[in-house]
Amino acid sequence: MWGTGFFKGLGFTLKMLTEKKVTHKYPDEPYIMPDRFRGIQHFEPDKCIVCNQCVRVCPTGCINLVGKANPDPEKKGKVIDTYDINFEICILCDLCTEVCPTEAIVMTNNFELATYSRDYLMKDLKWLSENNKNVREENH
Amino acid sequence: MGVNLEGITPEEQQELERNVLLTSLEQVKGWARSSSLWPMTFGLACCAIEMMGTGGSHYDFDRFGVIFRASPRQSDVMMVAGTVTKKMAPIVRRLYDQMPEPRWVIAVGVCATAGGPYINSYNVVKGVDQIVPVDVYIPGCPPSPVAIIYGVNKLQEKIMYEAKTGKRVPNTND
Repeated sequence: MWGTGFFKGLGFTLKMLTEKKVTHKYPDEPYIMPDRFRGIQHFEPDKCIVCNQCVRVCPTGCINLVGKANPDPEKKGKVIDTYDINFEICILCDLCTEVCPTEAIVMTNNFELATYSRDYLMKDLKWLSENNKNVREENH
Repeated sequence: MGVNLEGITPEEQQELERNVLLTSLEQVKGWARSSSLWPMTFGLACCAIEMMGTGGSHYDFDRFGVIFRASPRQSDVMMVAGTVTKKMAPIVRRLYDQMPEPRWVIAVGVCATAGGPYINSYNVVKGVDQIVPVDVYIPGCPPSPVAIIYGVNKLQEKIMYEAKTGKRVPNTND
């Protein structure tokens, strides 16, 4: 019969008006990422043992670190001096957090990283250690 | 036509710069431009999938007045989403030149920002800012739809700031 499709479609539209809305109000409400989301890294300088594994495993070579001898002459090993992630080319592959033996570098759920300049995508030790919000609970 | 600007004292100059009517007009223009950003669909790689997902109903770009256009003549902002190869670069530049002023560029993803995983490749442009001026960089591989929304909001803030103050936006992170 002519017109049945019209009423069928309109009926579906009217039925959908009562359903829950699918659109998330992101800038007004924070978007909660799932726990396996890969955001920008958080780095804890005290845990790092300067084993250089994250630098070796990084597929784009975006991590640079420099260690120095432990200031306490009693102790062996090194402590971290500088730690830079070039976030221009970091592809958030999670390999650095997987390889880290002490969980000094972990992933967070932070995604709000857009900038007006490429210079600010170079994240240093200070920025990464202060980026301690929304740290992922499970990193392996 | 033409205003004689020779005999203007510095005081009058300051008065002119504080011109209420014209500044408000600029702000109205900034408001209109920032709340109807029409991007060109410029998907080059996997970031385009996230860009399309942002246009879908869960994230809904239309809330911000962002409606995808298929032609550079009708669009205001070019979202370069994906790897720009050296073969593609002249076409990116031509499409940018075909867009009417005022125009903006968003580099979506690390490939468009700096080459990303292809940083050591011989045929990938190391950042789309080598061929077109970029306003907002969105890192991520690919950036999630919410990150793209954040980047678009940053661009809207930039347009409003530049219309309000008449200065370029400060290149700070906060």
